[in-house]
Amino acid sequence: MNSVFMSPSKIVLSLIIIICFQSCTKNVDFDQIDDASIHITYVSTLVYLNLTAPKFLDTFNQEIAVTTDAVEATITQDSKPYLEKVEFTVVTNNLFPRNFELSIIFYDALGNSIYTLQPTIVVPPNSSELTTIIEIPQVDIPVIYETKSFGFYIYLAPSSDGSTISMNDTATLELKSSVKLFFNYQKI
Amino acid sequence: MRKLVVLIFLVGVTGYSQNKQVLYDFASLPQTLLLNPGAEVDYKFHIGLPLLSQLSVQAGFTGFSVYDIFADDGIDINDKIRNAVNNYGTTEFMAFNQQLEVLSGGFRLKNDSYLSFGYYQELDFLAKIPRDIVDLFYDGNTDIDRRYYINKLASRAELFGVLHIGLSKKINKKFQLGARFKIYSSVFNANTKLNTGSFYTQDGNNNTYTQHLENVNFLMQTSGVFFDNYDDVDSDYVKSKFLFGGDLGLGLDLGFTYHPKKQWIATGSVLDLGFIKYTKNIESYRIKGNYEVEGFQLLFDPNNPQNYWNDLKEEFDKSIVLDTLYKSYITLRPVKLNGSISYSFGQQYDDCRFLINPKIYLNKVGFQLYSNISAVHSYIAATLFYERRLGKHLQTKVTYTADPYSFSNIGMGLSTQLGIFNAYFVVDNLLSLRNLYNAKSTSFQLGVNFIIKHNN
Repeated sequence: MNSVFMSPSKIVLSLIIIICFQSCTKNVDFDQIDDASIHITYVSTLVYLNLTAPKFLDTFNQEIAVTTDAVEATITQDSKPYLEKVEFTVVTNNLFPRNFELSIIFYDALGNSIYTLQPTIVVPPNSSELTTIIEIPQVDIPVIYETKSFGFYIYLAPSSDGSTISMNDTATLELKSSVKLFFNYQKI
Repeated sequence: MRKLVVLIFLVGVTGYSQNKQVLYDFASLPQTLLLNPGAEVDYKFHIGLPLLSQLSVQAGFTGFSVYDIFADDGIDINDKIRNAVNNYGTTEFMAFNQQLEVLSGGFRLKNDSYLSFGYYQELDFLAKIPRDIVDLFYDGNTDIDRRYYINKLASRAELFGVLHIGLSKKINKKFQLGARFKIYSSVFNANTKLNTGSFYTQDGNNNTYTQHLENVNFLMQTSGVFFDNYDDVDSDYVKSKFLFGGDLGLGLDLGFTYHPKKQWIATGSVLDLGFIKYTKNIESYRIKGNYEVEGFQLLFDPNNPQNYWNDLKEEFDKSIVLDTLYKSYITLRPVKLNGSISYSFGQQYDDCRFLINPKIYLNKVGFQLYSNISAVHSYIAATLFYERRLGKHLQTKVTYTADPYSFSNIGMGLSTQLGIFNAYFVVDNLLSLRNLYNAKSTSFQLGVNFIIKHNN
């Protein structure tokens, strides 16, 4: 009488046949890589300042209308094709009873002004923590890669009542900042 | 670049690291002596077909498969990439191992011991990639207070040749012992392991954020990778490095076969107890230190203008020191442990019910354990197997393996012996053959030998 069960050798042979004749791949589309778009955002700390009254006075204790400083920076070109947006976050705290404006100007290697961050940061008098977000739109991004230094200009607007800052003022102008860099890696 | 990405993925599905669970103790093949120098073989003499006695390819990526990303299923590839990143484990690894036996031979000595020898080339690559690195490069660092560690980042890559000679000796009826001595000759090596360090962003005091590189200690050692003149790196250079002009090392394999009872067999081996000392073309890099930055503090002091960028750079270079080292170094070979216990049954009778060969059983079932121990990565795998003779000329083995990468790894081996001609082919992860693109791992070994049996 024949057994209803297969012998071990038949089982192994059947297994081999099943494995050899089954489908090997399912549909894949490698061209999808062209549609891949990886968005990455990096945050970096930036400049900060904590200025007291003497910074706004000259040697004769007269107010200086414009106070300046500059940061030289080398920006590599590697990320240029992928940088999509730059967003600055500036937090100010002004204990002076005076109005300040802060401008940031980009300079190229020859010292030419090539870009001014817009809008200008307005710091009202006696203002507690105030956050301003400034974006460099995608169309202006290439200018960053031409930049060799950043100029910081603080404009001290005249007071409406004629009062001036004196050397003994204990007030401070604080500024904190950070930058978010938005990358879009479309072509890996 | 796209081709490179696809290639990386395809390499990633062809197998994984160095567990030859189907080949181990299979059909008394000469190559089983490389996995257990104390294996029992019944040959008088064997020689492998030069360059074709064993080709072994194993590689894999535990993170995701080609199909996970490139399936033609109408789902946006960006959603699939996001999904793959979300499912990424704490640490995933990518491995590739390829061996090519150039020469293989052996013969029985007068004292009945079996002496085997040969030369094989091996390319080995393994990279452990922690999730923190993937998150940092995929999502960025906007997650404030999140620490991105490099502690589990490790990698090794090596190309080398191995000359070996081994002896399998019967101690008594129950016990067979073996040992194999190896000389390694390395063409190139690069490795990094035991790294520490983290990067994180915190709310700052003087500025919005403070950014930290903490306890960074990263070392990458290389030999035969960086050259002053790459024109000298030609085929003659590679040949000389393979043939003991490279960085040299020594290794030892030990193994045994034990018959506790008539139909029971226990085997075990420890492979690659050894080291390579690298002395040529050494260029290693160490990055070490702690660094904290709040940003540029603008002083608005026209009388004392600051070079903020240079100051920051100098402070960074002082805090995080990059050293280039030219000192020789030693690496230990990844040690592999094999063990098995099996039970043989079912003897073959002729038509008159006479036993054909009392030493031969048609079936063998058993359990194997494999472990790979190294400074870069260690893991363990368990295998159940069934081995079956099909007639005089064909032997088969089916395995089921569970390891950190898969709980559904079915493997199969075939070995045929026609006269002195022997050919074998083993492959694992058969279930992935339904869709190769969806496989995270599979491997194969194949080869041709000429074997003269002891009783011939």
